[in-house]
Amino acid sequence: MPYFGSEETVKELKRALSNPNVQADRLRYKNYITRVIRYMTQGLDVSSLFMDMVKASATVDIVQKKLVYLYMCTYASDKPDLALLAINTLRKDCADPNPMVRGLALRNMCNFRMPGITEYIEQPIVAGLRDKASYVRRVAVMGCAKMHSLQPNIEIDASIVNELYALLRDPDPVVVVNCLRALEEILKDEGGVVINKPIAHHLLNRMKDLDSWGQSEVLTFLLRYRPRSDDELFDILSLLDAFLQSAHAHVAVATLRLFLHLATAHPAVQADALQHTSGALLTMCGSISRELRFAGLCHVQQVMRSQPGLFAPHYKRFFCAYSEPSYIKFRKMEILVELVNDENVTLVLEELRSYCTDVSPELAQAAIAAIGRIARTYSEKCLDILTGLLALKQEHITSAVIQTFRDLVWFCPQSTAAVCQTVEACVDCPQDSEAKQALLWLLGEHGEQISSAPYVLEVYIDGLKTELSSSVKMELLTAAVKMFLCRPAETQDMLGRLLHHCIEEESDMCVRDRALLYHRLLQQGVEQTRKVVMGPKSDPSMSVLTGHQQEPVSQWVSNFNTLGPLSAPDLCIQTPLISSPEQPSNNAEEELLPVSKDVSPSIPKDDQEELNLYLGPPLSHESFERTWLDLEVLHRETLSYTRPRTTPDTLQAALQLVKIQTLAFTPGDTLPWKAYLYTRGNRTLILAELLQEDPDSEGRLVVSVKQQPPNQHALRGFVSILSSVLQTLNVDS
Amino acid sequence: MPAKSFLLLKIFIKTAVSSWLFSPIMIHSLFLINNVGDLFLEKHWKSVISRTVCDYFFEAREKAVEPENVPPVIHTPHHYLINIYREKIFFVSVTQTEVPPLFVIEFLHQVAETFQDYFGECSETTINDNVVIVYELLEEMLDNGFPLTTESNILKELIRPPTTLRSMVNTITGIGNIGQTLPTGQLSSIPWRRAGVKYTNNEAYFDVVEEIDAILDKSGSTVFAEIQGGIDACVKLSGMPDLTLSFMNPRLLDDVSFHPCVRYKRWESERVLSFIPPDGNFQLMSYHVSAQNLVAIPVYVKQNISFFETGPSGRLDITVGPKQTMGKTVECVVVTIHMPKVVLSANLNATQGTYNYDPVTKVLMWDIGKLNPQKLPNLKGSLSLQSGAPKPEENPNLNVDLKIQQLAISGLKVNQLDMYGEKYKPFKGVKYVTKAGKFQVRM
Repeated sequence: MPYFGSEETVKELKRALSNPNVQADRLRYKNYITRVIRYMTQGLDVSSLFMDMVKASATVDIVQKKLVYLYMCTYASDKPDLALLAINTLRKDCADPNPMVRGLALRNMCNFRMPGITEYIEQPIVAGLRDKASYVRRVAVMGCAKMHSLQPNIEIDASIVNELYALLRDPDPVVVVNCLRALEEILKDEGGVVINKPIAHHLLNRMKDLDSWGQSEVLTFLLRYRPRSDDELFDILSLLDAFLQSAHAHVAVATLRLFLHLATAHPAVQADALQHTSGALLTMCGSISRELRFAGLCHVQQVMRSQPGLFAPHYKRFFCAYSEPSYIKFRKMEILVELVNDENVTLVLEELRSYCTDVSPELAQAAIAAIGRIARTYSEKCLDILTGLLALKQEHITSAVIQTFRDLVWFCPQSTAAVCQTVEACVDCPQDSEAKQALLWLLGEHGEQISSAPYVLEVYIDGLKTELSSSVKMELLTAAVKMFLCRPAETQDMLGRLLHHCIEEESDMCVRDRALLYHRLLQQGVEQTRKVVMGPKSDPSMSVLTGHQQEPVSQWVSNFNTLGPLSAPDLCIQTPLISSPEQPSNNAEEELLPVSKDVSPSIPKDDQEELNLYLGPPLSHESFERTWLDLEVLHRETLSYTRPRTTPDTLQAALQLVKIQTLAFTPGDTLPWKAYLYTRGNRTLILAELLQEDPDSEGRLVVSVKQQPPNQHALRGFVSILSSVLQTLNVDS
Repeated sequence: MPAKSFLLLKIFIKTAVSSWLFSPIMIHSLFLINNVGDLFLEKHWKSVISRTVCDYFFEAREKAVEPENVPPVIHTPHHYLINIYREKIFFVSVTQTEVPPLFVIEFLHQVAETFQDYFGECSETTINDNVVIVYELLEEMLDNGFPLTTESNILKELIRPPTTLRSMVNTITGIGNIGQTLPTGQLSSIPWRRAGVKYTNNEAYFDVVEEIDAILDKSGSTVFAEIQGGIDACVKLSGMPDLTLSFMNPRLLDDVSFHPCVRYKRWESERVLSFIPPDGNFQLMSYHVSAQNLVAIPVYVKQNISFFETGPSGRLDITVGPKQTMGKTVECVVVTIHMPKVVLSANLNATQGTYNYDPVTKVLMWDIGKLNPQKLPNLKGSLSLQSGAPKPEENPNLNVDLKIQQLAISGLKVNQLDMYGEKYKPFKGVKYVTKAGKFQVRM
């Protein structure tokens, strides 16, 4: 209850509304009704006034009627028996000579959410569909959908569906669009409204009469239609051409999406459409509304995945203005990184450098990371800037620069020497643990190039007692071991002290285990340790990625003009956090993925970790199904043996042993035989399907794996574990 | 288990077929929240969604610190919240399914604009004062979550806007503010214009409004500049007039978008605007001039700010002067500076206009007024800083607001306006005005 003494208020209103003097004075009466509505919208429970409000509905004043209807719609589900009293007045209004009164009454009657209302509204709706005023028809068409949603389990009324399909030819454009919306809702379980050739062409020809909202929706519905021939396709495209230039951004973008979707087989047409719309997208990026600007930027980002060069000449449009909100600035920086080329690199870097000293530390860090990304191609210029930033001696800047150095060295080994020099010359001990980890990684990995490395390390080892973060300690252990391998004379003593401290005095189990691990490893001999600890110093596979890659349009078009690209980048596009309305709530869904909250763009050591499968929170059938349908098959392999002839329970138990959960499978010997499995490991969720189509003699078991987010290493590990289990089972049986 | 698993496989196959389903666009509910976080209005078009869903919004609001920084799209486990922030109000819409974001964002702006149009301004006070009309409007703009009537001319016939005169008449007669007849425009062949419009004075006015967005660097050279222009029309003509508007220099415009009434083909072939106008106020077109050499910069700013290493103080010296103004006077000049947090107060001397430093928001605002080229306005003096705090790392940026009457800075000029289809002779007029948009000078 938001208001103290609300009971008093309700009582007072009740007294006033039932006072005959007030009822006689129309104006005072209406004022009290307005007050009831105001309290209602403020969240006060005024449902006890229902009886008095129903009485107030019998009036000729349309505004008073509207207010009472609004009240009744809100509380009808709580007081169905009382609401029935109002129905008669409403039904009478449905026959009023004024079309506006008819429409109003019909609309509100359909909005009552209470059981048993259908029998009262069905007849007025059917009559409304044939009303001569388009306003009433619009309302009636929507009423069909509302009626259906009141009792979703009842058989669909074929006559109404037919009538709605016929109304698609109505002269009023809003009626046409409402028909589509209503049919879609009524036929949801059967795949929605059918867009066949005559309907598609009819809609295309009506496009110019529709208001912008209608255009946008029709364009979305048309995504379902596949033209039969190229001639038809080009006819459609030329009809749509004008809408690419629409004054309404949402229409232009919806048209573009349809264009890209229809012209899948004609990449040249797609490229042309993108070129054509680039102006509209840029205008969106300069719109007065922040939100539109943001949406525009997100769409530009998607288009750039296929046409990286398209926006390069306009790079200045993506410079941040002082007053812009940070979510826009982040996107602009991401775009700037993408469109850097030989001509604009100097200016873009200068611009990014000025953001590095922004008052907001997050922004400054993002700007530094952006420079780091550009450094993969233009390392020299960027290193100068980054080194210059170190001289500012600002805590958060230094921290971000060191982290950027670490990523840079990993992706771009040729910059190692310069980075090592800088680190040696200007870095004093950073304070936050992220930066400490990055510095330690650099020292460990490239200790032989940094002459003072052991001494820096020693400072950390001496300060171990005051160190709080266990991940820093782990990194310190790794760095010290690596350093020992390349500069044993200087490090041996301190490594000993470190291991001793971590094993004897450390309370954190992870750190102690890591220390013990290294201890045992060292006992195996230096050479053995070197083999295990020293991996590659950079990621060779990544060097391919530094150049601009052109992805095909089909990679992103499926979520173009959807909410996906607008969501925060760390909650990846693939994670459907929303469950459809009819699904029961399921807490496990939120934990579908162990989302890593890490800010740093990539954790280089990911690939070297060994695969640890674990089950994690159970996945519901629904969320499995959704994730499965959303993802692409990453790996498909035909195994050299058939499905195990064991009982289902044995199979399930065997897989569970290696932490793979069986979600469902075909019972008995029915063919095709299928099974669905899932597991988690190394920050990814792995889903798999086993399929055997033909009888045993011919058919081999086909395994298809999907993964979110992709991680080749984990995937390979998973397949090998799975196949070994299946093989064992086959041998046993 | 086996029975269930088989069923599941069936579901799989079925869903795979129908996975191309799109849910039509649907806005479930709208919440209006002011900038201190009070929810003051809610409206549901389908079933009622508890206002606890806004907790996710409040969480994001808290995280964003500044209200402008709240991201436009917020995910919750069962809904999407799409919001816009305008005039210190958050318009938070709730949808349950995937929707095209631009659609919802533009719709919310349309709602805000309608309020502005009806009540003169769109603020919490006016919305609360007119709560009845607000509900009528929302009810008419969306039905079952789908946009129904949004064109302001037609809405105004369904629901009359409040005026002081009408509210007086209403009080006397008790007649409500609702149209008793259905708008005729709903059946006219041109959806944006009603049939049978009649005026005694037939007039058509066009305002060419241009905003300069620019970033200038320390030395005064242009980092980035472009012009956002628009032509706002106020057309009160009887009958079905067919207008043609031509420009002296239409090639100037690179990137244009039009009101749906403009015949696009004519523009492409002849570069003239040919249209049957809506009745009343509307935006005829908007455009963009981005070619750098075409964008004239009307003022220059000479500025110097320094913070001393020793002692908690700094100096500020700003001079503003006209640059490329094509002989017109620059008016309403206001300079705003967001000072670093350590600046406690400012002791300055302005040769023209008044200045004001707000120590809470750290905004220094200097209202200059008209620029006199003979005697350039100057603001000079000292700043006092928080003692002991380190000297600010970065110099603040400076925003300039200005206005030039009777000039479109791009040089765009209307050549003539012709009317066909009606006999009478209308009054015609064109006005030009240039304003600063996001006009920023770096120090």
